[in-house]
Amino acid sequence: MDKVYLGIDVGSVSTNVVAIDENNRVLSKQYIRTNGQPLESVKTGIKKLKNDIDGKYKVAGVGTTGSGRQLVGIMIGADVIKNEITAHATATINYVPSANTIFEIGGQDSKIIFLDKGLITDFAMNTVCAAGTGSFLDHQAERLGIPIQQFGDYALRAQRKVRIAGRCTVFAESDMISKQQFGFSKEEIINGLCEALVRNYINNLGRGKKIRPPYVFQGGVAANAGIRAAFEKELGEQVTVPEYFDVMGALGSAILSKEYVEHTGHTTKFRGFEAADIEFTPSSFECSGCSNLCEVIKVEINGETAAMWGDKCAKWTNSVKSI
Amino acid sequence: MKVTFPHMGSTLVYRKLVEMLGHEAITPPKPSQRTIDLGVKYSPEFACFPMKVIMGSYVEALEKGAEVILTSGGHGPCRAGFYGEMHKRILNNLGYEVDVWVFDSIKRDYKNFMNIVKKLKGDNSWLRLWTILKLLYQVTKDVDGFEMQLQTKRAYETKKGDCTRAWDKIQHIYNSVQDEKGLKEARQQCQNLIDEIPVMIIPEDQKIRIGIVGEIYVVMESAANMKMEETLGSLGCEVRRSHYISEWIEHNMIPKAFSKSHEEEILKKGEKYIEIKIGGHAKETMGNIVDFHEQGFDGIIHLMPFGCLPELVSQSIMPKLMDDLDIPVLTIALDEQTGTSNNLTRIEAFLDLIRNKKRNRLSKVS
Repeated sequence: MDKVYLGIDVGSVSTNVVAIDENNRVLSKQYIRTNGQPLESVKTGIKKLKNDIDGKYKVAGVGTTGSGRQLVGIMIGADVIKNEITAHATATINYVPSANTIFEIGGQDSKIIFLDKGLITDFAMNTVCAAGTGSFLDHQAERLGIPIQQFGDYALRAQRKVRIAGRCTVFAESDMISKQQFGFSKEEIINGLCEALVRNYINNLGRGKKIRPPYVFQGGVAANAGIRAAFEKELGEQVTVPEYFDVMGALGSAILSKEYVEHTGHTTKFRGFEAADIEFTPSSFECSGCSNLCEVIKVEINGETAAMWGDKCAKWTNSVKSI
Repeated sequence: MKVTFPHMGSTLVYRKLVEMLGHEAITPPKPSQRTIDLGVKYSPEFACFPMKVIMGSYVEALEKGAEVILTSGGHGPCRAGFYGEMHKRILNNLGYEVDVWVFDSIKRDYKNFMNIVKKLKGDNSWLRLWTILKLLYQVTKDVDGFEMQLQTKRAYETKKGDCTRAWDKIQHIYNSVQDEKGLKEARQQCQNLIDEIPVMIIPEDQKIRIGIVGEIYVVMESAANMKMEETLGSLGCEVRRSHYISEWIEHNMIPKAFSKSHEEEILKKGEKYIEIKIGGHAKETMGNIVDFHEQGFDGIIHLMPFGCLPELVSQSIMPKLMDDLDIPVLTIALDEQTGTSNNLTRIEAFLDLIRNKKRNRLSKVS
């Protein structure tokens, strides 16, 4: 049976599960809304993926990334648990080797990653505010009564230009409301919003740094043609959206797991597709050992403590025997 | 007199100084969430993070009965220069009868400096004072040296937390040093303690060394920087800081004629990027990065309080410096709103970047 590598990216808005073969070709790709239930959505993703590949391939490695990487990594038995920045860049370096700058806009954070000859040289993540990320666009689409999938097309149909304050989500929203009252159409407001977000993104993340083409735009928001057009307008250059733009993080972690397994020769720790049915209970409590009052997260598998983290002094983390 | 002081890294030396001069030292507890909450509550919203944490520490020390606060002043146009007075007024308004004694650099304000020295000295003879200062200076040198050894060893310890436990013990041992003889014994005891820590053997070309630079308080106080040194250590990095107390003493407490201070050299190295002193530690930050680069460090973590003016200036020079020296720098702004998981992601990615750069491979897995 041919080998296959899984990558799971557990983000705030979507959970992505992919399977790649030894030549990094994508065999299956699942994009699932997280809806605040990371574990459930991973289970759904795994089950769907199983239908695509079970019986034909053998899982040789698993990687997780995203904000829920640790929790899901334990649940599924991941070989590599990696941060989103490295995972995203790894995928881009593989699928768009010429890229020098990556714009990645996800559900709750946005990043810019600078590459040079296939190496990350620098990166930045949004710090202060979520303006310009997927959640904000989601919220605005809902408010305007437009399905998020059509958001970009609306922007492209705009006739006139309108400038919207993009510094902060709250101000952007109140500015949009007042511009609506001035009589601008939905299309123009949405286009203005896309431009404001791109401006904010480049000022906030790219500040003082040399942004060099070729540009690659990925993450869930890259589906939005309006934002892509605004990037191209702002930079005066073409911006590439890769084929699997919405699951790049998952692809990157799959590639990393493949490299790890090849490099070390270890056999995978993957618990099998049955992991989706394991009784898996995360809980948290406030440790009262000192005045830090850390919130400690505890994960139990079938009633046995499998992992603990979140404590500053590592008292609880160290107390768990790895299983 | 019941004397307290800010909690900035190890409080060993301040505590010993106060005690050996015959006062009662009220050591503030290590800053915790409660300290930060108190500090934020009683400080102006736009004051920087060090002012808020120190504010909280003072309140906690006053709750324990402190009467006098001993602190250091700021450099140049940095806001920290006002903080002694600000803290005093806010604390007085809260109803605490407290006096604040601010040590500014002896090179700048000799008279005020000596005034505070006299008040602290009390009835002790000048000879006694000299003996104490000499001893404590050696203690500081020793302790800083041991800390550096641990900052290296922590990256390779086989049992997580060994080095941090040894560090606590070392401070405890030095706390009871009273004279030269005790110093010698403590030195031997602590060295043995460090030598006993079991470590993994890592090939030289896989070792990673990170320099932490930036504003002194957030660099020195682990409670204000999300335990940066321990975090980096647990991720397998050797660490050095841009600030150690012994260096600070050499620069600020010893008249120029008697010291060739390390900081003077650092400042010279920073001159290329910031010509004049713009306050805080901005110029030192530049100089320190150049210095770490010359020593062959692999990367720099630049810490700044959110909204710190001097460090904002140094942050904006960073792209040029990174270009000139070809050394990766990660800037992290810290305040009471800082989320740990977000910054951990950044640090992990930064270390991946450094490892990849080192191996010059397309990608690397840990």
